[in-house]
Amino acid sequence: MLRATLKSLFARKLRLILTALAVVLGVGMTAGSFILTDTALKSFDNLFGDVYKGTDVVVQGTTAFDPSGQNNTGGGSERQPIPASVLPKVQAVDGVATAVGSIGGTAWIVDPSTNKVIQNGGAPPLGGSWDTGLTSLEIETGGAPPTGPDQVVIDAATAAGHRISVGQQIKVVTTTGPGEFTVTGVARFGSSDSLLGATLALFDLPTAQKLFDREGEYDTIYVKADQGVEPAQLAAGVASVLPKGYESITAATAASQQQDQVSQGLGFLRTFFLIFGFVALFVGAFIIFNMFNIVVSQRTRELALFRAIGASRRQVRTSVLLESIAVGLIGSILGIGLGVLLAFALKALLGALGLKLPPTALAIEPRTIVVSLIVGIGVTVAAAWVPSRRASRVAPIEALRESSTPDSSIRRRAIIGGIVLALGIAAISAALFGGAANPGALVGLGAALTFLGVATLSPLFARGLAAVIGRPFRRTATGRLGDENAKRSPRRTASTASALMIGLGLVAFVSVFAASLKASAVKTLDEVLRADLTLSSNQFNPFSTHLAEQLRQDQNFSVVSELRQTEAHVGPSNTDAFPVALDPATFAQVADITMTSGSLADLSQPGAVLVSKSKADSAGLSVGSPLDMTFSATGAQPLHVVGIFEDNVILSDYVISIATYNANVEQPLDQNVFLKYAPGASPTDAKAQLDAMLQKDYPNVQANDAAASKQQFLDSINQLLAFVFVLLFLSIIISGFGILATLWLSVFERVRELGLLRAVGMARKQVKRMVRIEAVIVAVLGAILGLVIGIVFAWALQRSLSNLGITELSLPVGQLVILLILAALIGVGAAILPARRAAKLNVLEAISYE
Amino acid sequence: MATTTTQPAARAVGLRKVYGTGDASVEALRGISLDLVAGEWTAIMGPSGSGKSTLLHVLAGLDTPTEGKVFIGDVDLTSLSDKQLTQLRRDRVGFVFQAFNLIPTLTARENITLPLDIAGRDVDQSWFDTVVKTVGLSDRLHHRPAELSGGQQQRVAGARALVSRPEIIFADEPTGNLDSKSGAELLDFLRSAVDDHGQTIVMVTHDAHAAAHADRVVFLADGNCVHEMRSPTADAILDQIKSLEA
Repeated sequence: MLRATLKSLFARKLRLILTALAVVLGVGMTAGSFILTDTALKSFDNLFGDVYKGTDVVVQGTTAFDPSGQNNTGGGSERQPIPASVLPKVQAVDGVATAVGSIGGTAWIVDPSTNKVIQNGGAPPLGGSWDTGLTSLEIETGGAPPTGPDQVVIDAATAAGHRISVGQQIKVVTTTGPGEFTVTGVARFGSSDSLLGATLALFDLPTAQKLFDREGEYDTIYVKADQGVEPAQLAAGVASVLPKGYESITAATAASQQQDQVSQGLGFLRTFFLIFGFVALFVGAFIIFNMFNIVVSQRTRELALFRAIGASRRQVRTSVLLESIAVGLIGSILGIGLGVLLAFALKALLGALGLKLPPTALAIEPRTIVVSLIVGIGVTVAAAWVPSRRASRVAPIEALRESSTPDSSIRRRAIIGGIVLALGIAAISAALFGGAANPGALVGLGAALTFLGVATLSPLFARGLAAVIGRPFRRTATGRLGDENAKRSPRRTASTASALMIGLGLVAFVSVFAASLKASAVKTLDEVLRADLTLSSNQFNPFSTHLAEQLRQDQNFSVVSELRQTEAHVGPSNTDAFPVALDPATFAQVADITMTSGSLADLSQPGAVLVSKSKADSAGLSVGSPLDMTFSATGAQPLHVVGIFEDNVILSDYVISIATYNANVEQPLDQNVFLKYAPGASPTDAKAQLDAMLQKDYPNVQANDAAASKQQFLDSINQLLAFVFVLLFLSIIISGFGILATLWLSVFERVRELGLLRAVGMARKQVKRMVRIEAVIVAVLGAILGLVIGIVFAWALQRSLSNLGITELSLPVGQLVILLILAALIGVGAAILPARRAAKLNVLEAISYE
Repeated sequence: MATTTTQPAARAVGLRKVYGTGDASVEALRGISLDLVAGEWTAIMGPSGSGKSTLLHVLAGLDTPTEGKVFIGDVDLTSLSDKQLTQLRRDRVGFVFQAFNLIPTLTARENITLPLDIAGRDVDQSWFDTVVKTVGLSDRLHHRPAELSGGQQQRVAGARALVSRPEIIFADEPTGNLDSKSGAELLDFLRSAVDDHGQTIVMVTHDAHAAAHADRVVFLADGNCVHEMRSPTADAILDQIKSLEA
């Protein structure tokens, strides 16, 4: 039986390849996600190894956050600076060979040719001190470390990328404002020329202390041990001389803590990519299901013959499952190969978004291969399960009959489909409205069940829907034949269309939700924002508070109100949150915040916090409730709620005062500054003067009026949207293959019919057109189902988030129409090969085919 | 349409057909010349392997001869491109095959008008009605092939062949899959198409009773025309076959 299976398998290589293709892309995306993140992790590992090269012990302020970053999504934790007086004590500890104080902060390098801040997407612009005697950086030949208040060393990637050479004068903007510096050297990290795209500007220690507001202080003390001294032992020795609030850890621990944080971030990224891989596999499963079903129908006689000569039901079933294992295996192996390519593609995609990963050899872990094989083969076998059961039900007598196995009853299908759909809807509802513990996973499960339910039910209405879609084609004989072919097997048509339904459904969902998000955001911005100008930096990085101070002296502006943001752990469960800080007096003049209870002005009381209405409702907070907030540098602070506000896009869930922020955050930075023109000032002149000043001193900051602020927000959503579309496109490609494969098999099934049509005078062109029309009808059918589901999903999500300010449901009609056209084009594209095959048929062979 | 001229509706001149090359080559037709008279029903008979199906395919423009010429009316088929051949089949030729004559997704009516629909030509309604009445299918027009009996299906195929008023109809074992009653019905229908409407028919068959309905029987053996008979009877045909086999 095994030999018979394999023989029949390899006799139909093309079918095998087409079926395997359905898994290849999904497995490729899965493998690619793993390879990409493993590779990144490995390169970070090397990088942190390089960073701490030569250092044995690290002294730093303690953090109230879990140092491994288990609960912080914000990346690095802020720590208290170390008083300079600690350094000599550390240097005096037994076993210390060298100890140096170090400064770290944010510094934007300005490209001298464009006068724009150099920013590699989301990578941070780093600044700090050149740690003489203990640095892991190497200066390239021809350069020297920085000495004195006007010298800087920059990283090799920035220097090369922006043609900055040693001796050149450049502008660097730090926490305390802009300055002009001479480049004395170009530095690299061992083999790497940059830290993941982050720019680096290093000054000598006194200059760094001044620039980063750390006079008489250090951020970190790096210690090198005497020969033969164990780092762990030394760390303990150093700890004994440290005042309270500071810790000393080995360099290895510091590296692994940072590595943990990075791997957490990468884990998030991996999950994100894997979701798209699973969507692709899910789509592929439909296609495999369909292919196996068709093949079982076509092989009914062969299978019945097996049964007639004594093969048991089980053997027949096993033969089909064996075939699926072979298909899954081939698909998975090809998929892993594709995954390597996709890892490069995803890396490039992330690079385009500004997240540059360092170059290293690809890491293909055994885990990647095992997971890919399990997932690929598992999906294929699962999809072939029902067809294999159908095959086992073929009766021996059918070897002699000219009929195929009857389809399972419509009623049973309706009941099963209805139940699956109901479960899906229930899961989504529970996730969105019921406050389930793990809403993300539940929504995913619910969406999968919904798609599955609709796919199961779709044969019930595929005929009717196809008739409507096909109507315009029925004017010609070819069109009528194409339409009839699309309707002749509702199950086949429906499951082919279902594959496309999933991809397009998700695209439609994302489009509608994004449009609703935009519409809601624009509406709240209109209602809330009263500022004439909003200052923000590109990529939403925060910027120096000195800018706001300078603007307060500016006669052109009557109101200058800052908005800052930090990370904190909130409440009894220490939930990670990003409270914003503002000055209630000035903020009331630049924004129209609606308070449902309490007042904005009360924020000026010590320990006051405002909470958004949605958060207050879900956490059961009201005015007067105590609310603890833990900050990285200062630990838990007892605060209390003084007001509840309507959610809006400017604020986050929690609002504290600038005073509270300053008391708990070490390096204050502004996220936004809101301005109002002074009465009597000319807005045009004021804006022009401000632009000129920003261009000169703060090239990283831009001033936007209300319209431009909206546009900036819309642009950021659009960028994310484009990214998601690119990833979903994979699934749509797979469903295109599905249409191709189904048509291909159908053409083989209809050889005789096609021969007859050609014999009675149908031209090759007409045959092609007939196949194309069938494909278009199937594709548009899938698209319509997908659009309906997508819109319903988006509506459900919008309803569930309406208390978070997403109050509008907006249908991007133009985009949805484009999706329909895209679906039709996919149909046309998928029909090319089958149509050519159909048109090429030799008439004589077709009519004498037996 | 009733014409009684003896001008050939189709003509074969020195037809040779060789399949394969070298040692493996098979010569299916060895230089056949044949005139098919308009308004006449010609049956082609012969043992299997005699080349009768090949002859029909070549005459109908479904296959090309290795040597020789085929004319339908004045048109030399061997000079036509694939596209022109397709058009010729569509506009000037009708077909009835042994089985799988109909498109399963189309109704009987749609199957009958298929060649006209493909050509984008209008259906001559009175002619359509006449044909349908002759076939006796007036009440089955909206049924699909699966809902028709084998005999009905073949009669639909016959109606399809007739409805575009082709110059010649080629029938390949049209009764091969039918019981004797259904077969007789179909043959009566073809007979009336010839007698009442002057239709030219060429039919390949191995059934002497079927061939006896024709005006003329041509016997083939080993790729050659070996005998011809006019106004045949079943017995005469059977005798002839026996003598050929002897």
